[in-house]
Amino acid sequence: MKEATNKLKALTVKEGNDILRNRIYLLVVFVQVFILLGAFGLALASSVASDPALLDKYGATSVLKVGVPETVKGTPLDTALIDQKLNIIYYNNVTDAQNALGTGLVAVVKVDPSDPLNISVASDNSNIFYPIVSTKISAAVNQYNLEEKLRSSGLNSTQIQQILAPVNFQVIFLNLDKQSKLALNSPYFVEIMYGFIVPFILLLPFFLASNIVTDSVVGERERKTFEVLLMTPVSSSQVMLGKIIPILSFSMIQSMVWILLLDLLRVPIYNTVPILLVLFFVGLAFIGIGTLLSMFVDSTKEANSAITIVLVFATFVLFMPLFIKTSYFTAILNFIPTVLIVKMASTPNIGLEMVVYSLPTVLISILILMLTIRYFRHERAIRL
Amino acid sequence: MMIFVLQLSVLLLMIVVFNSFVANIESDKGISITPSLNGFASMDVQDQSGLISKYINPEIISVNNVTSYNTSVLRTKNGLTTGFLYVPGNADSLIKTGDTVNMLVYVDAADPKMSVVTDEANNTAKTIAQSYSSSLTMSNNNQNQTANFTQETTGESLPLQIIKKVMLAILLFLPLLLFGNIIIDSIVGEKERKTGEILVAMPLSHSEIIIGKGLAVALTISLQVLIWLVVLLIFGFKIFNPLAVFIFVFLTSIPIIGITSVVSAYSKNYKEAGIGLSLVYLVVVGFLIIPVLVYISRKSFMANISPMTIVMRLFSGDFIPLPDYLLCLGFIAMVSLISYWIAIKMFARDDITFGPRPGIFRILFEFLTLKFIRQ
Repeated sequence: MKEATNKLKALTVKEGNDILRNRIYLLVVFVQVFILLGAFGLALASSVASDPALLDKYGATSVLKVGVPETVKGTPLDTALIDQKLNIIYYNNVTDAQNALGTGLVAVVKVDPSDPLNISVASDNSNIFYPIVSTKISAAVNQYNLEEKLRSSGLNSTQIQQILAPVNFQVIFLNLDKQSKLALNSPYFVEIMYGFIVPFILLLPFFLASNIVTDSVVGERERKTFEVLLMTPVSSSQVMLGKIIPILSFSMIQSMVWILLLDLLRVPIYNTVPILLVLFFVGLAFIGIGTLLSMFVDSTKEANSAITIVLVFATFVLFMPLFIKTSYFTAILNFIPTVLIVKMASTPNIGLEMVVYSLPTVLISILILMLTIRYFRHERAIRL
Repeated sequence: MMIFVLQLSVLLLMIVVFNSFVANIESDKGISITPSLNGFASMDVQDQSGLISKYINPEIISVNNVTSYNTSVLRTKNGLTTGFLYVPGNADSLIKTGDTVNMLVYVDAADPKMSVVTDEANNTAKTIAQSYSSSLTMSNNNQNQTANFTQETTGESLPLQIIKKVMLAILLFLPLLLFGNIIIDSIVGEKERKTGEILVAMPLSHSEIIIGKGLAVALTISLQVLIWLVVLLIFGFKIFNPLAVFIFVFLTSIPIIGITSVVSAYSKNYKEAGIGLSLVYLVVVGFLIIPVLVYISRKSFMANISPMTIVMRLFSGDFIPLPDYLLCLGFIAMVSLISYWIAIKMFARDDITFGPRPGIFRILFEFLTLKFIRQ
């Protein structure tokens, strides 16, 4: 028994050193940091750019340039537009304003001189801030409309108040002492971060793992060292474990570091242990598939194309469910590992049903692993 | 030849995925690129009147209709649900008699999804307020007083532009980056196979060797770009000025081959060249794409430095003034001249080609002190 562990240890250490000495793998690890930071920055910037409230908060409203005719200055419409915190530029000549659309102005408000109630807005759809400007102008015009109507209706002030706000809305925060420290408290940011970027980043190391395992198995065959390895008094399962353990730990460590990094970026990941367990089994499946594949191919080149196809397929299975809107898939969706990761990462307390939901992932990966070991014993990976 | 066919099939696959992707986001009302997980957040709702709960969007939030106030507050406190929306039982009659309805939303502050829930509750309240005010003012008022509000837009929306134009531009430039391996093969391969010595001993100058190899690759690339362009046209992509597009993509391949030659001339073996090339191509791709994005958002003149910007403007049918062309062409010529010159200089030096190779910093130092130029 002791001897067996020693053999396994020796093989594991050797494989681990191989990984750490490979500059390409280390480069890929390095690239992942950039992917993480880039995705985080992009999510942050696009959340601010698409959320009117956040844009107001960060005082970036000077870019929301809207042309308004000089004649409107001082009217209720003008006040309503100013209330929306738009950067208003008054113009005298409609054609000049129209020409500035797209270069200096995001939108131009036009008021018919003969009928002040005839308002039209021309906006530049290709501007980044178009959605916000459009929402704000609509809100301003609605506000103006409502006020005009109420003024002419002859209602008393309490009636007006009730019409303006029929529903009062109050938020009560529970567990404020345990408040989650989020980088940005915006629904868009939370959805894109937890709904896509977190599972994507955490799974990246395992995509790399399946590449490493084919490299290690096929490489050994190409260098003709596999026969030597199999002649040593090491059992098939020991050889398999010796290859799997270092690669799996390499990926798991990367995922753990990404979780820490996300925490530092103030995207707290909850339920780290269950997530790592799910990742462990997903990783096992990835490595198992990689090993199986490398037994069927003859060269590194072939293995690379085969693994690329498999990874494209895996991406489809793992990430498409995050973007599907139909409800009749819901029953299956709950069992997809990425969906599990999303739910675990974003919920402080998860229910026991998660165990049931993760069962298929565990079963499938164990099945793949058993198949791999069995096939490996049978063929001993040498096809002559 | 095998690679050629494989790349074409990848392109076809990309076109299919790309088309379905565009169709998918366009079919939606508006354009959304956020993930749409069913039941991403959960909210308990107690609303006996049914006045408010019917307005809640069930797409992201899974709604549990509950009847016990205390249990739900506890559930929220224990993190079993993200939030709890409480609407008074008599909300229906309150709103009819003209009183204000007080809605309460309890959220778990420890849950990062709380903003999703509060946002949804807020939107629901707004929708109700709007429909209520408009119904009330409608009945109270003659409609002549309503302002007539129309919106018109110019230009294509930004996300759609990025997806349609930038993706197409990337597709067009893809062949340029796929041929790096051929150049590595033809320069590093000679070193690995030790045929480099024989080649150098032949009655050819070093510049003839490098330029000859580059030319061969450039011709292959031009063929691939041509096929690529024809395939895209057949698939119904709108490409204006196809000839000018072809010429610009082809011209861009010249400096890229030059840069690749520099990396290959310096590398000792395939592995090194592979790592070096991935790093260099990362910079090249960034340099091509970032100006395109800049151009889309602010139409700056300097953005035309990237040939990708010019190509994008060409295939969208923009009018391009002469200085914009000159900026791009000048830049291509400059990078080409410098990169080929460095590649030839490196190839001509025996210590770099056959070893013992000086380190990269040593070469940079020589470059800075003008020693590299004199040699």
